[in-house]
Amino acid sequence: MSKSFFRKVGFGLSDLDKYPSNPLDWAIDQVRNPESYSWAGDIPTGDFMLERYARWVYQDRKILREKFKENRHAYNREKNQLRVETGEQYYENLELCIRHHAAIKGGSPVFERFLHFWGNHFAISKKDFLAEFSVGPYQREIIRPALLGTFENLVTSVTTSWPMIHHLDNSESIGPSSKSAEWREKKGKISTINENHARELFELHTVSPKAGYTQADVIQLSYIMTGWEHEHSETRLECNPVRFNWKKHQRGDHSILGHLIKYRGNSSKNKLHDAIKFLTNHDSSRNFICQKLCQHFISDDPTNQMIEPVVKAWKRSGGNLPDIHEAVLRQAYNFSSNHKKFIMPETWFLQMVRMGELSWPPSSQDMEYTFKFRPSALQRKPEKLLRELGHNPFRPIQPNGFPDTLREWVSPELLIRRLVVTRKIATQLKGLLLEERKLNELILRNFDNKNEIFEYLSKTRSTRDKLILLFCGPWMLKA
Amino acid sequence: MKISRRQFVSSSCSLVLAGAIPRMSKAIPKEKKNLVIIMLRGAMDGLTAVPLTSDQYLEEARPDILVNNLKRLDQNFSLHPKLSTFYRLWQNNTAAVVHATSIPYTGRSHFDGQNLMESGGRVPYADKTGWLGRGIDEAGYEGLAISLPVPLLLRSKNNPNNYFPAKWPLPEREIIELVGDTYKNEPDLFRAFQKIKTRPISMMIPSRARKAHELAEVAGGQLSLPNGPRVAVFELNGFDTHAAQGGSDGEHGERLGEFDRVLDALEANMGKHFENTLVLTLTEFGRTLNQNGGYGTDHGYGTAILMAGGLIKMAQVFSDWPGLKEKNLFEGRDLKATIDARSIYCSALANCFHLDFDLVRRKVFWNENLTDLSSTLFKN
Repeated sequence: MSKSFFRKVGFGLSDLDKYPSNPLDWAIDQVRNPESYSWAGDIPTGDFMLERYARWVYQDRKILREKFKENRHAYNREKNQLRVETGEQYYENLELCIRHHAAIKGGSPVFERFLHFWGNHFAISKKDFLAEFSVGPYQREIIRPALLGTFENLVTSVTTSWPMIHHLDNSESIGPSSKSAEWREKKGKISTINENHARELFELHTVSPKAGYTQADVIQLSYIMTGWEHEHSETRLECNPVRFNWKKHQRGDHSILGHLIKYRGNSSKNKLHDAIKFLTNHDSSRNFICQKLCQHFISDDPTNQMIEPVVKAWKRSGGNLPDIHEAVLRQAYNFSSNHKKFIMPETWFLQMVRMGELSWPPSSQDMEYTFKFRPSALQRKPEKLLRELGHNPFRPIQPNGFPDTLREWVSPELLIRRLVVTRKIATQLKGLLLEERKLNELILRNFDNKNEIFEYLSKTRSTRDKLILLFCGPWMLKA
Repeated sequence: MKISRRQFVSSSCSLVLAGAIPRMSKAIPKEKKNLVIIMLRGAMDGLTAVPLTSDQYLEEARPDILVNNLKRLDQNFSLHPKLSTFYRLWQNNTAAVVHATSIPYTGRSHFDGQNLMESGGRVPYADKTGWLGRGIDEAGYEGLAISLPVPLLLRSKNNPNNYFPAKWPLPEREIIELVGDTYKNEPDLFRAFQKIKTRPISMMIPSRARKAHELAEVAGGQLSLPNGPRVAVFELNGFDTHAAQGGSDGEHGERLGEFDRVLDALEANMGKHFENTLVLTLTEFGRTLNQNGGYGTDHGYGTAILMAGGLIKMAQVFSDWPGLKEKNLFEGRDLKATIDARSIYCSALANCFHLDFDLVRRKVFWNENLTDLSSTLFKN
């Protein structure tokens, strides 16, 4: 085994981590029995955050816009005040702290890596105020607990969650021969489906284009999904829990990828569950997801030899995620010596922090917020830092999330950002790593090629520059 | 001056440049032409930027947000007063407008609309590359993006070189050299590092100058280099004025003013190279004809494309004007789009990259039914 295993599937080892006597068991135990969050401060619930979201959009859209329609300066001033009161600039940073605390200080770093993978797989891209209020709780409450169950269960939770329904516009989708469509027709309004969510459920979340679905399949799956929406209300606007609204639902039988999803009468909401059951247990989903997992944890270009045992574990367990994750870990372990995997910027940063015991993220006391002033510079730092790295996991540009291979990330500016961030950290560093002994221990604990690293580090005398070399070298960008 | 994050976001932009280094170029080697795309995110209102000088329907629909102090363009149309650089260029015959145009998307969602204006397709999220990226690929240029991350518009199968001013300083040259040495067995990382090492000092220093017109100074300089990039992309945000849109001094006017400053900075920093340049705006859709309860406008359909640069054929408002009578409106509420905006972009790509229009239409815009407007709008 290579020591890079600890970074392939985790965040490396700190001085406080006991070197596991059996690294594979150490990793497997984490994905089967993850620790809960140890963040000492407030962890807001998704319901609470939806209420905050509602307050923000309602006050802005329905109150301020009308009240200050003739004075844009007053409007902008009041809007800024509303940002402060609703925590619009605060919660995303808090969520990033909770996420980073679990990765750096938590007892289940390997499980957190899988959470990061799935959060990116079921990406919520930049839209409205989802990053500000919703993506953090979505990853914590919808995805995290589902990682101990089946893939089918995970897809069901995600697909019917408020953030994903809102993100992919399913509330806008109306069955053309539904009850709602009839009423709307009397008022001269046209009713159409919105295919966004159905298309991504096929393409990104389950079977992938390799399954060969057609536009007709997308339309059929859109029909099946009609009615799943967030209710619209006077004072919370779109910020109400997801429900199944039979009035918008397109009734009848539908066929996707040649498979019949039958009419369900009064329990038509279950048609979506039937479709998800079919899709998540489809060969194409299994192959696509197993390939993606191996690409994320083992190699940018995983071979069939790597993927095959993961597929087998999926088949054997009926898509049980802890079993699948265990198989991925075994393969990452087996191939750790000969195959290196590119490390995405946020993961790289967290590894640097965990291995070096750097002081990050801000503490729960630092993150206590009064909702009276703009959050402090420190409280806004998590978002700012990740933006500088080009990788804020809550803000991918597209619903397909961030890429995870070297060829998609290797660009001059993104490399420069790693240099810039390391320099900043190395310059501000106090204590610990400035001792040569500590630095040497870190290298011995985490890298196989210690001689090569020491040789490069010996070319500069400044400890600060040694740290830049250590953390920006190819041994850190890959594991 | 300290810029608050919110101010930063509302005025932020990114800029993308694409290099002139040919890879197996299919383009005929001719003089270097520059293409600048300015994305106006949030839906730019064509009827605020280029309103009818006097129109009963417009005046009835927008009594509280009509634009005053207009600058007259032709018999029918006038210009928003904040577009003073644009007006100066117009008088020099180097600015023009295409009106009542849009990408073929009528769903009124920013999210979908912006995706489509960048991908150039008809189905949101169906494509993972952008039309400009594909065009650059087709011409065989290597991309250099000045943005972090690269916008969809510029994405293609090739990852562009990129630059965007960092907020914090870089390590010293010597240590950068040392880091570069560690990549000797990693070809991809090594190549990327070579590009870093050959950068001018000006691109290696931290800067908070991230406003569009500040980046336009950098872009203008780079575009002027004979072997420099030939494509630049800016993003300007904040056109989504549902409230307090205002007329001459309103929020929408402010945003148009920022666009105008970019134009000014480009022209000033490019000198004679502005003559070989085409600047085009790109937005997801227009806005409703009627003002809403908050003295703003909502999501609509038809809008305008503002064009400038020495490659403009002549000052003109090119349009198949549908009129603003209710029966002439799209769904009874929006300016109709009578010209597919992609025809303009396809024509511009063909013109600036020395490519055949039909080739671009087929390869970049997937054989969509687009019209070659190059000889009408641009100098050959």
